[in-house]
Amino acid sequence: MVWQLDLFLLVFIIVLAILSLVVKDLLLSIILLGGYSFFMALIYAEMGAVDVSFTEASVGAGVSTIFMIVALYFTARFVRRDVKTKKISLAGLILASLTALVMIYVADAMPDWGNPQAPAHLHISDRYIEKSQIEMATPNMVTTILADYRGYDTLGETTVIFIAGIVCLLLLGTATQRLKHNYDTKI
Amino acid sequence: MIDFFIFVGVLLCVLITFIFYRVFAGPTLFDRLISMGVIGTKTLVLLLLIGFIYKRPDMFVDISLVYTLLNFIGVLAITKYLRRYKTDGY
Amino acid sequence: MDIKDIISMVFIGGGLFFFFTGVVGLLRFPDIYTRMHALGKCDTLGLLLNVVGLAIYNSSSLTSIKILFIAVFILLTSPVVTHIIAKITYDSGIKPWQKDNS
Repeated sequence: MVWQLDLFLLVFIIVLAILSLVVKDLLLSIILLGGYSFFMALIYAEMGAVDVSFTEASVGAGVSTIFMIVALYFTARFVRRDVKTKKISLAGLILASLTALVMIYVADAMPDWGNPQAPAHLHISDRYIEKSQIEMATPNMVTTILADYRGYDTLGETTVIFIAGIVCLLLLGTATQRLKHNYDTKI
Repeated sequence: MIDFFIFVGVLLCVLITFIFYRVFAGPTLFDRLISMGVIGTKTLVLLLLIGFIYKRPDMFVDISLVYTLLNFIGVLAITKYLRRYKTDGY
Repeated sequence: MDIKDIISMVFIGGGLFFFFTGVVGLLRFPDIYTRMHALGKCDTLGLLLNVVGLAIYNSSSLTSIKILFIAVFILLTSPVVTHIIAKITYDSGIKPWQKDNS
């Protein structure tokens, strides 16, 4: 990693995240979140995870921006004046700060970035490399790990994603019909 | 040459810091929109520079191509929204 | 230092200069149309110069061609974006700035 660039990029994403929460205009918030995703993809690329960066750029900045704008068609851009916004509750603030403190404390015990002696790289990889051919006889090792060793895990994941996709399609489908109906009757 | 690339990257970051002033203070929504577009082009060059700093530009070029297209598509979607729901600039 | 490096450094330096002028225009000009006038040109030219400089510095030909594709996409999309934003700004009723009624 290049620390000169890191310094700027991390400050930028914190500024963009706070700004997109504070702003009262939802469209502006979407624009700022698109910028946030671009910087996040840049940071992933800088850490060497090019595939994650590619996903973040295409899903975070492209598809989710468009989805949020589609969602904005069915709601209002601004907060109504007569709706009172809730004040920050003290208990929630204390709870959130305590959680943040615990997370910072735990993050200190994590292994350094790119450390070859990290526990994730020591035990299980060698066993996969040595034994997966003998045990499963599948030529592709990644497929073996995903579909054989972690079969139930992957099944659960794909089920969740499948259900989420179906629900999104159902919601967007009825919403689009309603919008079209409103639009036609207005003209 | 790598020092030169890092120098250029830091200069681009300083420029982005100045553009954030326009994102904060820009009076109309469109000011903020074009400011974010400019930040998009700057991050594109930064991404290519990071690829050259790591000496693996072939991996990073594909993401840059995606960046250019997504910048374009995002602006198209936002203007399509604004075309239906007219705003008076704010 | 190679002659190729120097050429690409000159190109990247030129691109940085145009980026800088674009940002100065973005910060200093009085209204949205003039800011867009500054950005539409400086940003496109700066990005083109940067990308061409990097393509010259790169040695593998396929990657250079891909980098030049980015330049082609920029040439296609950047004027479209500027035009669309200018049109939608004008449609939403923002008057261009004039010197006497500032």
